[in-house]
Amino acid sequence: MAQKIVFIFLLVLIIVKLSSVASEKSEANALLKWKASLDNQSQVVLSSWKNGTSPCTTWTGIQCDTSNSVTAINLENNLLKGTLHALHFSSLPNLLTFDIYNNSFHGIIPPQIGNMSKISRLNFSSNPFYGSIPQEMWTLTSLRSLDLSYCSYLTGPISASIANLTNLTYLDLGGFNLNCSIPPGIGKLNNLVLLDFQYSNLFGSIPREIGMLSKLEHLDLTENTLTGNIPSTIANLSRLNILLLPNNTLSGPIPPPLWNMSNLIWLWLYSNHLSGTIPTSVGNLVNLESLRVDDNQLYGSIPSTIGNMTKLTEISLCFNSFSKSIPASIGSLINLETLCLQTNSLSGSIPDTIGNLKRLSDLELSTNMLSGNIPQAINNLTNMYNFVVAKNNLNGHLPPQICLGGSLEYLNAQSNHFTGSVPSSLKNCSSIVMITLQDNHLEGDISQDFGVYPNLSYIDVSNNQFYGQISPNWGKCDSLQNFIIAKNNISGGIPPQIAEATNLGKLHLFSNQLTGNIPKELGKLKNLVELKIANNHLSGKIPSEIGLLQALTRLHLGGNDLIGSIPRQVVQLPNLLELNLSNNKLDGSIPSDFKTLQPLYSLDLSGNLLNGAIPRVLGEVKHLQCLNLSHNNLSGNIPSSFDGMSALNSINISYNQLDGPLPDNKAFLHASIESLKNNKGLCGNVTGLVPCPSSSPSRKSHKVVLLVLLLIFGVLALALSVISISVYILCIKARKKEDPAKEMQPEELFSIWSRDGKMTFKTIMEATNNFDDKYLIEIGGQGSVYRAELPGMVVAVKKL
Amino acid sequence: MASFTPFSLLFLLLLQYPFLSLSSNSEGNALHALRSRLSDPNNVLQSWDPTLVNPCTWFHVTCNSNNQVIRLDLGNSNISGILGPELGQLHHLQYLELYRNELSGKIPEELGKLKNLISMDLYGNKLEGRIPKSFGKLKSLKFLLNDNKLSGTIPRELTHLKNLKVFDVSNNDLCGTIPVDGNFGSFPQKSFENNRLNGPELKGLVPYDFGC
Repeated sequence: MAQKIVFIFLLVLIIVKLSSVASEKSEANALLKWKASLDNQSQVVLSSWKNGTSPCTTWTGIQCDTSNSVTAINLENNLLKGTLHALHFSSLPNLLTFDIYNNSFHGIIPPQIGNMSKISRLNFSSNPFYGSIPQEMWTLTSLRSLDLSYCSYLTGPISASIANLTNLTYLDLGGFNLNCSIPPGIGKLNNLVLLDFQYSNLFGSIPREIGMLSKLEHLDLTENTLTGNIPSTIANLSRLNILLLPNNTLSGPIPPPLWNMSNLIWLWLYSNHLSGTIPTSVGNLVNLESLRVDDNQLYGSIPSTIGNMTKLTEISLCFNSFSKSIPASIGSLINLETLCLQTNSLSGSIPDTIGNLKRLSDLELSTNMLSGNIPQAINNLTNMYNFVVAKNNLNGHLPPQICLGGSLEYLNAQSNHFTGSVPSSLKNCSSIVMITLQDNHLEGDISQDFGVYPNLSYIDVSNNQFYGQISPNWGKCDSLQNFIIAKNNISGGIPPQIAEATNLGKLHLFSNQLTGNIPKELGKLKNLVELKIANNHLSGKIPSEIGLLQALTRLHLGGNDLIGSIPRQVVQLPNLLELNLSNNKLDGSIPSDFKTLQPLYSLDLSGNLLNGAIPRVLGEVKHLQCLNLSHNNLSGNIPSSFDGMSALNSINISYNQLDGPLPDNKAFLHASIESLKNNKGLCGNVTGLVPCPSSSPSRKSHKVVLLVLLLIFGVLALALSVISISVYILCIKARKKEDPAKEMQPEELFSIWSRDGKMTFKTIMEATNNFDDKYLIEIGGQGSVYRAELPGMVVAVKKL
Repeated sequence: MASFTPFSLLFLLLLQYPFLSLSSNSEGNALHALRSRLSDPNNVLQSWDPTLVNPCTWFHVTCNSNNQVIRLDLGNSNISGILGPELGQLHHLQYLELYRNELSGKIPEELGKLKNLISMDLYGNKLEGRIPKSFGKLKSLKFLLNDNKLSGTIPRELTHLKNLKVFDVSNNDLCGTIPVDGNFGSFPQKSFENNRLNGPELKGLVPYDFGC
């Protein structure tokens, strides 16, 4: 008996072993069959998948259990390319993990995935699968982790049956077009720890049921079009660490219970339409490391309890309507690296306690109503990278040691009431990228206070009281794109070395005391878009090399002592929008190198010694809106080409020697006498101007000649038509016997109509025999249609 | 639960949220999106820094006193690529100057949203497809110049543009007839030459898409 039992036992063992071998073989076959369907590159990657070997020992990415059945396929980041169509899922009944993250698997996700009855972790993320998520996905109730994120061509919707997947702890469906709302059934997934629907084109509101996910630690709904209020049930998620709702259209107040979620580490609500205030209970969030509520409609004061959130590294309240002062308790946030309060209605002074924030690197306070001095303690902050205090009412001095740590890149203090000099640490601040100090009361010698900056791209110190000369060292600033020192007391010449800064796009030095010539070397600045050096004491001629500045759009040289003529190369600049050479001592005539399609919209040559006539081609510049040629010595008539200048809306030609009639152009006819006066003999229909005579003596003889010519031409034309008509009649009579249906090109018909209307009318009368009923085709509501055989084609003629 | 420590989460998030995020200026973001579709060998868009508060300091962009973009001057810049729908977000744009480049693809319909547009110069590119009907909504338009590979008919909606002074579609592949209503009666012949157009519209007799 015992022997029989042992025998049966051994038999069973053998059968089990055989069947496991058999199933191991069928699993291998299924995988090999799938491998064969992939591309050539994939064959190389999966070269270890060989017939005859065991998947469990040597095959890349394959794991088995103790009975040698495949439980895991891990093929992430492998450049595999193909589909899942040839994978026989039923042959892998014990598959628990299927991870093909970041490959090039395409085609649809086959419904056969429903056969993976034990599947626990499914990661298809970052593959170009397309089509919608198959229904079978929502039957995989054993799933604990599902990641389909960034399968960019995949589409939703999320079925309500998602509620079946109650074992899910990790769900990521972000980065493709779900285009649906969040189903309330999501609340049934009470094991969820991470839920990610970022960039999914979700609409509708966040369902209240989200509060049922009691184990949730990470919720990301970034960048969708979610609307409505943030449900207060979110506060029930007591384990929540990460709450990300930015870039939606959520509205209403932030629900007060949210401020009790003391496990929150990251709270991002920025770029929504949230309104209301931040209550003092915000201080409860003692574990918070990043708070971002920027770009909403929040208002009220910043509670001083924010000082309790000592783990904060980043706090951003910018682009709201917060008011009153910055609380001094901000100094308690010793881990703070980023503080953004810009564009609010904050007032009062910057608290001294800010000096305690040793790690502070990004300070943005601009566009508020802050007053008082910048605290001295800021000089001790060595990590400063981004220092932005622009557009406030601040006064006193700029912190001298602002670049002490050598990491300052952005210094923006424009539009305040700062006095004193440029920070001394700026001289050797090689990290600096942008310096904007314009519209203050700063002073100093610019040749001493600045150094050489390899990374500086933008400097604007306009509208201050700087003096001294422009150092040639600025040419060594290889990254310099904007060099703006307008409205100061700078003297000396424009150093030619500045042209070595070949990335210069905007060079603004206007309203200073500069002397000397415009260096011809400026022609080397291939990227120069704006050259504004008006209102200085520059002398000499305008170098023709300016014509090399192909990218130039705005050239302002007005208010200097420039002599010589206007180089034609300047007029020829193909991208010029504004040309202002006013109030110099330029002579010669206006070049005639203008082109019809050039984009020039503003031309001011007033206040010079220009002579000669206004070039006819100037009237053909289609885009010209503003034209000022006043206070010159221009003579002759205004060219008739000005009639058609439809964009022109402002002109001034006063104080010249012009005569003749005003052009038939609304800008001239609506101009006041101030813009036309003091010329030689201008006439026209404008108050204050002499009306033009109906015929002037010099024209009478012209008129007689014209009349005679017209008479002769008229007689000739009449004779020609008589001859032609007879020829036509003869032709028609002949052609009636030939094939009349020769197709004439539509363009030819068009040209007859436009050129020789009288001829065709007579021909039609002939062809229809004065609209005889014999040729009537149809009678319509507005007239009758007749058939007319013209030479070369048959037409329908409608007689109204 | 395994593997969801704050550190791994932070790592995941840092991958997606770089240090200096894009500014919340929608016009700057629109121009940044425009740039992403373009190829710019001459680096004319080098100054287009999307982290700045607005695009008003960018070269080739002109703003009004409210820091809203009114001009985009990118003519003769050797740029290629396609124009995207984002241009329609520049609500205050008056001058769209993209002439003489290598732009291809279709003219986005969204340009019809630019209520303040005065001048649209797209000539000298390789744009194809139809002239969008939405251009009929550009009530302020004065200049519309094209010299591309445009096809289809001239939309009749354009005859409602009371301010249109210059309309040049010469050198394209347009078909059908030339509208005669509104300002179209005063455009010279040469505005339409070198197309496959069939002369002026003869209402009731020759359909508008004759020859298309």
